[in-house]
Amino acid sequence: MNILKFKLIPQSKDEKIGITIPLNIAFVELADIKACDITAREAVKLIADSIDGPVGINVIDMDCVTTTSDGIMTEGTVVLMAAGDRGKINPDFGILEMEEIPYSEELIREEPHLKQWVMYPGKRLFRGPNPKKKLIPVHNVVITGRAGNNNSATEMMNIVTMEEILLPILGQLEIIKGGNVVVGNTGEVISVGIGMTIAEKFGRIFPTRQYKAGDTAHSSGEYAQTLKRNIPIIAADKAIIAKQTIKALQFGMIPGKDIGCSPLILSIAKAMGFKIDFDNITDRAYEELSSVGITKEWLQEEIIALTADEVIAQADTIVPGINNPRKFRASEITVLKEIEI
Amino acid sequence: MKLMHTKLPEFIKKMKEAAIKGKIPKDIEIKGLENLTSAKMQSLRTGRIEHAVSEIAVKKNVEKLEINVIPRVPETMHTVIVKGLDKDGKCMSAVLEVINILHPTEEAYLLDCDDVDDRRPKIGLH
Repeated sequence: MNILKFKLIPQSKDEKIGITIPLNIAFVELADIKACDITAREAVKLIADSIDGPVGINVIDMDCVTTTSDGIMTEGTVVLMAAGDRGKINPDFGILEMEEIPYSEELIREEPHLKQWVMYPGKRLFRGPNPKKKLIPVHNVVITGRAGNNNSATEMMNIVTMEEILLPILGQLEIIKGGNVVVGNTGEVISVGIGMTIAEKFGRIFPTRQYKAGDTAHSSGEYAQTLKRNIPIIAADKAIIAKQTIKALQFGMIPGKDIGCSPLILSIAKAMGFKIDFDNITDRAYEELSSVGITKEWLQEEIIALTADEVIAQADTIVPGINNPRKFRASEITVLKEIEI
Repeated sequence: MKLMHTKLPEFIKKMKEAAIKGKIPKDIEIKGLENLTSAKMQSLRTGRIEHAVSEIAVKKNVEKLEINVIPRVPETMHTVIVKGLDKDGKCMSAVLEVINILHPTEEAYLLDCDDVDDRRPKIGLH
């Protein structure tokens, strides 16, 4: 007999966590699935069957790499997403695999942020799904009953109550690793930052290279800060985010050119005195950045550059974003579940 | 014949009639078409749905019926027409935008039901 282990954040309005968890959220490692000698699709069906309610399920492979929405490469990625409701998974729209992106020189030319890949030798890259493998061209979403799991498993929602939660990939990886997370409301800064994407084929949000670094996918001016403002979020501790971002900056990634111009990246780049491609950031991106206090003038102010250790130590004040933040060990908000197979 | 279409009011009337065909006439509530004012309904499936309504209506443990018409595809893409009108109601300027809408799938409507006979063809077939 095998035991399938997974981590669950139960659907709740838990006052301890301080936010509404609109549906059950399950994370399972691909390595644990393989240890049970079953497929990922079989595993998510077993998990859905064990939960008497709506559930979003993410299968995570810690041996692969992915990119954040603003282009920071990191180890660990979602390779399959699913949505279930009271044991059912919709046969047409309930499960979707992410697509492996093979290395090529042409790919690196088209997507310069992937130069970071050299720091992760031998690791396979996954981001979003291949649109040709979807039944119809819905966005990167799976839905069963009340449960929606979208933007390649980084947002989940209860479509009946219409409540939603954001799950940036670095936070998911902290949950898998048993690390540290910040829980709160997404806030204006991240609401703007989510739009500062980079051009990616089979990206987590967009299937084509629709928006380049330095631009905003939102393109909605002062309204961008309100788009996700009040939605709950579970993110990685800001020290973790800072550490990973600094790794990309020290490698040579230029904000606004190679990687996105999100407030998070720009704030860290400014604090450490890294070059920012001011000329490549579009007017409409500046308009959205200004709405949350990130102006070109502020970015160009003379500063005494901080070291990486200083930025990481002061990450809670230097890295902007998340309203009403509360810090937790990942183990404090998850329940370890087991299914006998 | 399969390419013919039924008028929306006629579709609704047909369903109500199918619900009262058994020995005990039963009420039927039709949900999901409220926003439609002018629509043509696929005739081939209209007949099959009438048949399904009459089948369910004669079941002994059924007191009343309900039809939920929901999108088969849980993300629908809609054109949004933003119009500026003058005092006479004439459109003076407009912007066309698009918005995708997510919908719960059928499982959300059948949480308490184990007896589900799925007669839908695969997506792409009629």
